Formats: sequence, C-alpha cells, structure tokens
Amino acid sequence: MASGTSQFTSLFDNALLNQIERMRLRPIRRLTNRSRGEHLSGKGGSSTDFADYRDYAAGDDLRYVDWNIFARLRRPYIKQFQHEEEMHVVLLVDASTSMLFEDKLLRARQAAAAFGIMGLLNVERVSAYAIHSQPEKPWMFPPGAGRTRIRQLLAFMEQLEGGGNVPIEKAIETMLRFHRGRGVAIIISDFLTFGDISRPMNMLYSSGLEVWGLQILAESEINPNVQGDLRFVDSETQETLDITNASELLNVYNDQRLWLQSQLDSMCRSRQGRFLSASSGASIQSILFDQLCRQGWILR
Amino acid sequence: MRWPSFVNLFGAWFFLALIPLIILYFLKLRRPKMEVPSLVLWQSVVNDQRVNSPFQKFRRNLLLLLQILLLCLLVLALMQPFLSADAEVAQYMPVLIDCSASMAATDEITGKSRLELVKEQVREQIESLSGDQKMSLFSFSATGRRLTDFTSDRRQLLKALELLEPSDLPGQLDDVLRMAAAYTRTFPIETVTIMTDGNLPDQVDFELPFSLDVRRVDAGGPNVGITEMSARRSGPQEWEVFVRVSGSSVDLRGAELKFFENNVETNTQPIEVSNEEAERLVFPVSSAEARLLEARLIPTGFDSMAVDNSVWLTLPAARPLKVWTSPKLASWRHAIRVLSNIEQEDGTDEQPKGSDYDLIISDAADLGGAIAPVQVFVGVIPDDLKTMIEVKEDVDYVVDWNRTAPFLRHVQLADLEIGEQPRLASGLSAKELEELGYEVLVDGKAGPLLLQRREGLSVSYWFTFHTDRSTLPYRVGFPIIAANAVESALKQASLSEVSAAPTGVLPVISVEADRSYTIKTPDGQQIPATSTPAGTLSGIPAAKVGRYDILDGNDVATSVGTGLLNTTESSLKAVEALRFTELTVAAEKSDKIDSDQPLWWTLALLAFGVMLFEWWYFQRARGAAA
Repeated sequence: MASGTSQFTSLFDNALLNQIERMRLRPIRRLTNRSRGEHLSGKGGSSTDFADYRDYAAGDDLRYVDWNIFARLRRPYIKQFQHEEEMHVVLLVDASTSMLFEDKLLRARQAAAAFGIMGLLNVERVSAYAIHSQPEKPWMFPPGAGRTRIRQLLAFMEQLEGGGNVPIEKAIETMLRFHRGRGVAIIISDFLTFGDISRPMNMLYSSGLEVWGLQILAESEINPNVQGDLRFVDSETQETLDITNASELLNVYNDQRLWLQSQLDSMCRSRQGRFLSASSGASIQSILFDQLCRQGWILR
Repeated sequence: MRWPSFVNLFGAWFFLALIPLIILYFLKLRRPKMEVPSLVLWQSVVNDQRVNSPFQKFRRNLLLLLQILLLCLLVLALMQPFLSADAEVAQYMPVLIDCSASMAATDEITGKSRLELVKEQVREQIESLSGDQKMSLFSFSATGRRLTDFTSDRRQLLKALELLEPSDLPGQLDDVLRMAAAYTRTFPIETVTIMTDGNLPDQVDFELPFSLDVRRVDAGGPNVGITEMSARRSGPQEWEVFVRVSGSSVDLRGAELKFFENNVETNTQPIEVSNEEAERLVFPVSSAEARLLEARLIPTGFDSMAVDNSVWLTLPAARPLKVWTSPKLASWRHAIRVLSNIEQEDGTDEQPKGSDYDLIISDAADLGGAIAPVQVFVGVIPDDLKTMIEVKEDVDYVVDWNRTAPFLRHVQLADLEIGEQPRLASGLSAKELEELGYEVLVDGKAGPLLLQRREGLSVSYWFTFHTDRSTLPYRVGFPIIAANAVESALKQASLSEVSAAPTGVLPVISVEADRSYTIKTPDGQQIPATSTPAGTLSGIPAAKVGRYDILDGNDVATSVGTGLLNTTESSLKAVEALRFTELTVAAEKSDKIDSDQPLWWTLALLAFGVMLFEWWYFQRARGAAA
C-alpha cells in the first residue's frame, strides 16, 4: 500500500478507493428502514423511477392516477414508482488481542472501511463498533449517512487499535443495545471464542439485521507450523494448553477449523446471511474483488 | 514356573532413585511456549476423542515412562537376577573335566570332539558365574591335574579351559577325586561336577565326601582301534605278533591293518570289526635282533578317534635266559637245567660271579651284589621278618595256597609234608606282613610257607622252609614251580612274551650304564634322562601315542613306541552309573549343565535398547520443538 500525503487514507491507496466507491453492498433480504433512502425496496415507493401500473382502488391518492391512460382507456390506473428506503449497515470489527496476529486487524479494518464506504456512498446509514477491552462501552462510530461521513469513517478505522479480550458474542450483545434499525450487520472477526455464538446471531436476526460473517484468520492459524511438545498460551486469556507431538495433531486441528467454519457458515445462512473465511495473508483487493464479489456480497 | 532370585538384593535400594527421577522430570519439563491468538481450536483438538485416546494419554509422558523403565531395568540388572538351576546355590564349584583319549572322539556330522562339547558347556557355566560363586577346574585322564584355584575370575577360568586338550591316556577318576576331596577341608564344597563322556571304569574305589554330579556328553561317532598288541616267542629267533582290533559301532566297519618292521611295511590285512566282533591277527616275525614293530590301522570310513590307530612294539634281541642257582640247591639246578634256552651258571661258588642275572635261586639272602628281576630264596627268612617268623623243628603242612599266583600256577600243594615249621610270632597275622610289602602265597599250619615281595619291577619269592626238608622236590609240582620261576624271569626279561607299552610311562629301556640320554617324544619334546648303574632308563613319561627315540648325542640308541591299547577307551562306551564304595552315582546325559542362568545381561541389553529408543525419541521431539 502506498503511503504519503497525497493518499486519502492510510488504509487503501486512492486507486483502490476509487474502485471501492463504485461498488455496492448486495443484501439478500433488503431489510430497510421506512425512512427514505436510496436503497430500492421490493415494495412500491414514491421515487421518480416508474415501476408498474395497477387498478385504481377506492382511497388511492388521486395524484398517482395516470390521466393519459384514463383518457384513452376510460378507466383509472394508478401509477406505481420504485420505493427507495434507507438500509442500516452495521459494522462490527473484532479488535481484540487475537486479531493482532499477523495482519488480521489490518484486513479487518480495511474490509470494514470498504463496506462502510460502499454503504455511505449508497446513502445508507452506516455505523461501526469495535470490540476491545471494555465490554460495556464499545468504540463506536455513530450511525450516519452521506458522503461527508466517509472521512470520519476512515479516520475511525485508521485509529482503531487492537487489544482486549472481549468475546465476540458479548460484543454483539453490547452492540445491539446501542443499535436501532434494520439492515445488514457485518461482523469481521476470527470468531475464535469459547462462548456460544448462536444466541447473539439470533438476536441480530430478530433485530432485522442480516448477519454477514467475515472470518479473518492468520496464515499461522490456517496452516500452523508446529512440531513437538509445546505449551500454547492464549493471547487474550493467557491460559495455557500443553500439546504433545503437535505435528501429529495438525490433521485434527484442520478438521476442527473446517468444522468451526462450517458451523459459522451454517449459522449465518440459516439466518438469511452470509459467511466467508479469508486469510489475513491475502490482499484486500483479493478479498474484495475476488472472494466477496464471487460470493455475491458486493456488486461491482 | 521358576522365579528369578537375586544375588545383590541391596541393589533394590536404588529403586528409591525413582522418586528424584519423577520429581526432576516434572521440574525440568519445560515445553517451549508459543503464543497463539486463541486456544479455541487447539482445545477442540485436545478434546477430540481421538486425541483423548489411551495411546495419546500414554504418549504425553512417554519420556518419563521410558526413563522409569530404563532405571528399573538398570536397578534390576544391578541386583543380578538369575534363574536358579537348583534350590541351593553352590558357592564353590569344582568341575572335573575328563581329558582322556576317548574325549578326542569326534562326531561324524558336526566334527566336534567330545572335549569341545564339554568345553562349550563349561564355558557357559563360567559365563553364568554369579558374583560370589567361585569355580575351580580340574582335568583328569590317568591322573588328575588342577587347572585353576577357586576363583571367580572368568578370564582365568576361560583361559585354562581353552588350553585343555585330550590326552592319549585312559580315564581314571580316583586320582582327581582325591584331589577334589583334599579341597573339602579348606572350602565348603557340597557338589563336585564331573564333565565326561562316560567312558570311565564303572567301579571307583573312593569314598565320596561330597555329592557328585556326573554330566555326560553325546557319544562320538564310530571308532575302530587297536586294543592289544603283543608278541610271543615261538622259536629261538621266531616271534608271533598278535594284534587285536576292536570296533565301537554295531555295524561291521572295514579297515586295513598295515604291519611295519623297522619302518618297513611287511604285511597288510583287511579287517572288519564291530563292537561284538573284534578281530585278532597274527604276524610272524623272524629276527635275532631287536626290532621296532608298528601296527597301523587305516579305517576305510569315518573314524572318530585317531589316537588308537597306531601301536608300537619293541621286540628284544633273542638271547638265553641267564640263571644262577645256588650249588647247594641241587634239586632246583636239576629242575632248571632241563628247561630250554637257559644259560645256567656252573660252579660251586656260594655267591654269583656276575652282577646281572635274569633269575637267581639262592638259599642265602646275601647275593654278593648280584641282582635279578626274579629272585627265589629257599629256606631264607627275610631280614625284616626275622623277628616275626621263627622256624621250629616240627612237621608242617600246607593249609592253603594262592592258586592264581603265577608262581604257583598248575601246582598242587596238598599233602605236602615239610620237616620244618615256620611260625608267625604270636599276636601277628598276615596283615602285618602285608604292611611290610609281603604277600603270603602259601599258608602253613603256624605261619607263612611262601612269601612274595614286589619291589619296583623285580619280584622275589621266599620259601620260609628249605625245600630239601620237604617232599616238594619229589612232587610233580616242583619242576612246575621251577618252570614258573623261569617263565616269570622270561617275562621280566621280555624274552618269552612282550606286550606293546600303553601310554603313561615308557617301559624300562636297557641302555649303557650311567650315561646321559635324550628322549625325543612323538610331539617333538626332548626329555633328558640318565641311565642307572644297571643300564636302564625308567620312569620316562609317555603321554602321547607314538615312537620315542632314545638319543645318545645325535645318534638314535634305540626306539620304543606306545599305543593307547585300552579297550574301554577305544569302545567309546559310556557307563550309565559310577559305582563308588558306598553308593552309585548316575551319569546323566545332558546337552547343557544345569547352571544358574544370569539375567543381568538381558536386562542390561534391554536397558540399552530402551536408552537408544529414548534418545531417538528425545532427539525427534527436540528437533520438532526447535
């Protein structure tokens, strides 16, 4: 990534930023707020874009009757327009200590910034929360919309520091206490928690949020290069675990990792959401334009 | 099932070392720490059922288990466990090894001699000696020999064992048993082990002060050997040489017997013998000169023992028997004169003129320095018996006589009347006479009438009554007695019969008097010897079968030869039991001596294997950690 005064943000270079600005989020259910926005809802609306005709029914606003059609056909038809509603994009970035390994937190901040920019440029309400050391008081980027908030969002993401040991399930619950509105909740984390994550997932879903899970794992987590007898130390809790002949357990480890991913994927999909696991070793371009695009998360 | 015993039980204290070992293991167990983002996945791995399998649990502390195993094996080895062969653990172990000629017999298939088999077994026993056990090796053939003191030094024992070789002598147990018995006064010996092929005289005149463990090795292969060789004069210059060949196998086995006179082959005879059928061959030899004869057996098939295939016999030069008879003993002179090939000295001198005779018949004890291998004294009481025997003027008669004595062979002494009565002093018996070296051949009414005394190779006969004062000269038996005396003299002078000399000691050799000679043995050794004033060489050891050259400087003065000539040895028969004075000991056949089997080296080997495995495992684990 190029750095310098000419760059708009330290998270991306300007060329990548331009590419991101042309991309849009692609929610599955289009859960929107009733307030007007630029997100097209499936229902009829009051935008200037024509959608369809329907028979007039008693009580309809006469302003929407197409008088030209009435003159020719002598029957009243109501003109329907596309309804543009506001969608809330909630970004939840895991900034706990476990995300400090390799480039996990950087990729998480980049992805969150990219999702935020896409939302803001699509006139969605975007808010961001960061999981850190204080479970009851998350770092928060308050909900807002409009292009003017892009710089603030990028500044929030740039200043996001890692640390702490708040588990993801607790962080989601905390986030939901501050959040209002329907839309998409994008959780960017390694999802490595001893807790039960299905409960916060249900809470997100019942709050009208699509659950998008983006798992960022370090290369050393995907393909750990360990051998012999080792004492693993948890970076967040400092708990230890003795492993004998670690190299012989790698197959079991990979099975467990894949099983966790399948569980998370199943959890998200069952809540009309998405899940993707990416390596922190992959570039943000690869994650955005290759993996996420192919998975249908975003539209180019 | 036999449980192992331990020589060094105090070594068990070293098991306490397990405590510091385990403590140190856990104190020193430092796994390399590795910080990971989260333990979630690794904890899942550990929780996985496969990981929690018993094998994995075991592997968690495999190094510790290996170290405990290694320590236990080392401590057990230190305690010197052994599987006891017997309830009693002998501390002093005398082992008597048979080195007689039959121990050289080889097996037809393996080619191993019996002594080699015995050596293998004894070697195992030496190797299995425990710390406080001491062994002493003895070898025996005709005599016994101590090879080592009681020692636990395996090197010394093995060295002595390796030097053992079969001798060319027959086996005799008495001597070596006496040697072993002498040690019982110094050491607490409970059992004596005899390693033999069982080819021993089954009767042993010995009272055992210890228990005997007789171990018998496998029998050797078939054997054919010469068991007898003798010659009998058949004319003034004619000899008949008899050779007896025996076999040890049930089946008839062929051989060729070659006959040599002064190293020149003169006759060859094919023979077939078995253990049931011996063959006796006669070879006529005509010679007035001394000759060295050799009978050599060439077996056609496998022959397990070579030492009995050659026998030498020295034929003496033909000469008349030299006899001096006292002129007063007219009856004896007449009886001798009629015998053939006799040179009886004439004259009226009361003492012999010469010094060397073959037979002296005298009525006086003083012979004026003359000697003869056979002496007959008539009416003479030996000087050392004069206080014990007194001759009275009384009529006497023969109560009993030794009918098997060669001197009285074919002689009937019943109804013999004697005008004198030799009386044994009161309170004395034949036992006292025997203690002085005399054997009573004829018993009278009150004392011995005829005594025999052997001194070395010579023999003397003492008539305690004068034969002229009895009816003996008028009896048929008188000329027979004279002929027996001559026959005995002929044998002593080797003029009528001569037998091949068995190994052991060379027969008396006639050479020049007071001269130094060198005896060259068949194995190349040279033994210096000096002849007696009488011109004889005697007492020369002959442990090997073969020809012995008596060298006068560099010249060969004469040659004699020996042979094994032992039917028992050649037959390779093994006795089932040895009969001692008070008991009989079974000679058990065994492939292996029942000895304590030490286990320490097995444990040490296991410990070494465990150590190697642990080293490999540790290096592997360390490499992985690095």
